[in-house]
Amino acid sequence: MKPRVILEEEPVAPAQRLDFGWDIAVAAAVPPDRRWSSLGLAGVGLSVLLLGFSLIGAGNFVAAQFAQAVWLGWVTLTVAVAGFGLVFAGIGREVRGYLALGTVDTVRAAHARGDVVALRGALQDWQARLPEGRTRAQGIAEMPIDAACALVEATSLAPISRDAEALGRAAAMQAFAMTAVSPSPALDVLVFSWRGVRLVRQVAALHGLRPGVVGTLSLLRRVAMDAATVAATDVAVDAVLRGVLSSRFAEHVAGETAAGAVAARRMILLARAADEACRVLPRR
Amino acid sequence: MDPFALIRGVLDTTEGAARALVGRERLRLAVTGLSRAGKTVFLTSLIANLLAAGRGARTLPALDAAVGGRIRRVTIIPAGTETIPRFDPEAHLGALAANPPHWPERTEDFSTLSIAIDVERRTSLGGLLPERRVTLDLLDYPGEWLLDLPMLRQDYAAWSAATLIRLRQGVRATAAREFLAFIDSLPADAAAEDALAKRGYALYRDALRDCRDNHGLRFLQPGRFLNPGPRGEAPLLWFFPLPATAQGGLAALCARRYGAYLDDQRSNFLDPCFTRFHRQVVLVDVLGALHAGQEAFEDTAEALAAVASVVSGGNWLERMLGAAPTRVAFAATKADHVPSRARDSLAALVEHIATGARGRAEASGAATSFHALAAIRCTEDAVATLEGQNFAAIRGILLNEGRGATIYPGEVPMKPPEPAFWQSGFFRMPEFQPPRLDPAGTAGVPHLGMDGLLAWLLGDAL
Ligand SMILES: Nc1nc2c(ncn2[C@@H]2O[C@H](COP(=O)(O)OP(=O)(O)O)[C@@H](O)[C@H]2O)c(=O)[nH]1
Ligand SMILES: [Mg+2]
Repeated sequence: MKPRVILEEEPVAPAQRLDFGWDIAVAAAVPPDRRWSSLGLAGVGLSVLLLGFSLIGAGNFVAAQFAQAVWLGWVTLTVAVAGFGLVFAGIGREVRGYLALGTVDTVRAAHARGDVVALRGALQDWQARLPEGRTRAQGIAEMPIDAACALVEATSLAPISRDAEALGRAAAMQAFAMTAVSPSPALDVLVFSWRGVRLVRQVAALHGLRPGVVGTLSLLRRVAMDAATVAATDVAVDAVLRGVLSSRFAEHVAGETAAGAVAARRMILLARAADEACRVLPRR
Repeated sequence: MDPFALIRGVLDTTEGAARALVGRERLRLAVTGLSRAGKTVFLTSLIANLLAAGRGARTLPALDAAVGGRIRRVTIIPAGTETIPRFDPEAHLGALAANPPHWPERTEDFSTLSIAIDVERRTSLGGLLPERRVTLDLLDYPGEWLLDLPMLRQDYAAWSAATLIRLRQGVRATAAREFLAFIDSLPADAAAEDALAKRGYALYRDALRDCRDNHGLRFLQPGRFLNPGPRGEAPLLWFFPLPATAQGGLAALCARRYGAYLDDQRSNFLDPCFTRFHRQVVLVDVLGALHAGQEAFEDTAEALAAVASVVSGGNWLERMLGAAPTRVAFAATKADHVPSRARDSLAALVEHIATGARGRAEASGAATSFHALAAIRCTEDAVATLEGQNFAAIRGILLNEGRGATIYPGEVPMKPPEPAFWQSGFFRMPEFQPPRLDPAGTAGVPHLGMDGLLAWLLGDAL
């Protein structure tokens, strides 16, 4: 049988293009909601017990004091309220700092999915939280989303990256100076760690993030993940490093301390990695 | 191999090793295929579907399964300051989705694009480590130019002899009637007259065009005669094959231009773009060749083998430096031109048409596999009733007529057909309208079998 074409009747309207319902068939699966791990549950339970029982204990104690003398009751109550108020304020701040980190993920996820509506909303929320004095992109609600992203990158993210780099340079300078004068390597490690954590928090603050202890730990984990990525762009790091070390002072001591150069380079890397970890949009 | 190439090879290999260490591998994928095999459409679909997969859409299920769902993000690497033109998948996709739709124009120049695939690491602690980024380098070019590759290994005399033998056989002889008469009438000591050179060139070029457009032949050299590219027809092209008896100034001029032509192609196209591939996919329009008759079918096989001997076959040194592709996939394109039950035959047939090419690839240690795919699926299965009997067929909307049509593509043999098969004559498959597409390509494009091919080709590298 020979191949052949069998034309259909001349249609009244132009024939519809075929539609395989592809968009629906391949739609991304909804990620399963994350469940609490058993360790997390136990931890929360323990906190509830500690806090709850100490609240009840405090209540009982205040009641007992009131039974002894009214003025004693009032004093005890004031002390209890002030103490618990501070504890709760601290917890609140930790939680807020931790959740703010989560918004970075929300924006990034919306960007990766190509979810325009969510991305626009999330970007606006993020802008609102930027520290005072940082320039913000205007009118991103109206423009096409890729233009909005590019504008956010140019007006806010790029300057933030530059500031982060400046912070990194300052930290590098200090780290370098420190190795030159420090008496013991063990002390170096301690001082570096402290300076590194401070640097990471400084960079996070540029992005409008103010992580508490838990937040900082989570942030450090993210920075560690990004550090290897940044290491691949080491050439840029070397250029910055040369800039830092060419100052007269550095030249003077550079011969004695190669460790200083290594430490300085780590600080610059760390500033970059921290910037990478805190950005709402991936670097272009 | 000249010493510079050797140094470059060593440097490239070192760079490759360094990149692998920091999780930044680079994979160069050669998409080879003769003209109209479907390279441009394949690349467009490949990019759109990979980008969609990076956004979480399940457009490439087999690839996803092969890499254990570790693909996190896929992005197009922004342009730098390259002098090479950039492949524009958005424009191609936009044209395909537009109303009325357009298939890509004939490719006139080469262009490149790199895409970054971020994958989670394979180890059990992969979630904690930074992602790996595999950069996939892609290249689009006019398929006609591919046949300049085997010419690099021939001098003018050898090329002329081989070309003239081929030109005097079968339908080529009729297509090239005027050209053959012209060179036969030339005196053996013809002088280096540009008028003669131009005349011979024009006749030879027209013969090549006739062979390509009306007879479905593919082993046509040189490539720029058929597709002059962005720089148009330069005096460089004014040459043509001459028999060994011709010894005059004209023959010397043709030989000089032959050398200059190859140098030019080498420095502008082949060396910068067409060396050092890690993976290769060979696209073959098997059905088109089958429908164009026995001569076209055999010619396609021969052309594929000639190209393969250069692209997939490295010498021992190149292999040691990792400069020859380690995996070569052969794929029959436009698998949507046959009903689904005939697609296995199509894959089997590509295995036969590519026997020569496969031999070269395997001789240099590459693994090979065979596939049937449609980069953009344009048809659905249907039944055609012919002379009272039902046959499996396909249905699509014709591009030019804008009307639906049911098409019986004929029987697809599993191996090179018997002589009797060729009696049914020439058939030209009409072009179809692509299905409804999202111009932004958020969900990729409907395809058949792209994922299986990519899983085999790239799965181990991701
Ligand atoms: N139905 C169908 N047609 C295709 C497909 N791929 C390519 N084609 C057709 O083949 C023609 C040539 O494709 P193109 O990619 O330009 O070939 P190239 O010369 O190798 O770049 C296109 O214009 C389409 O009509 C496919 O997947 N399905
Ligand atoms: Mg093309």
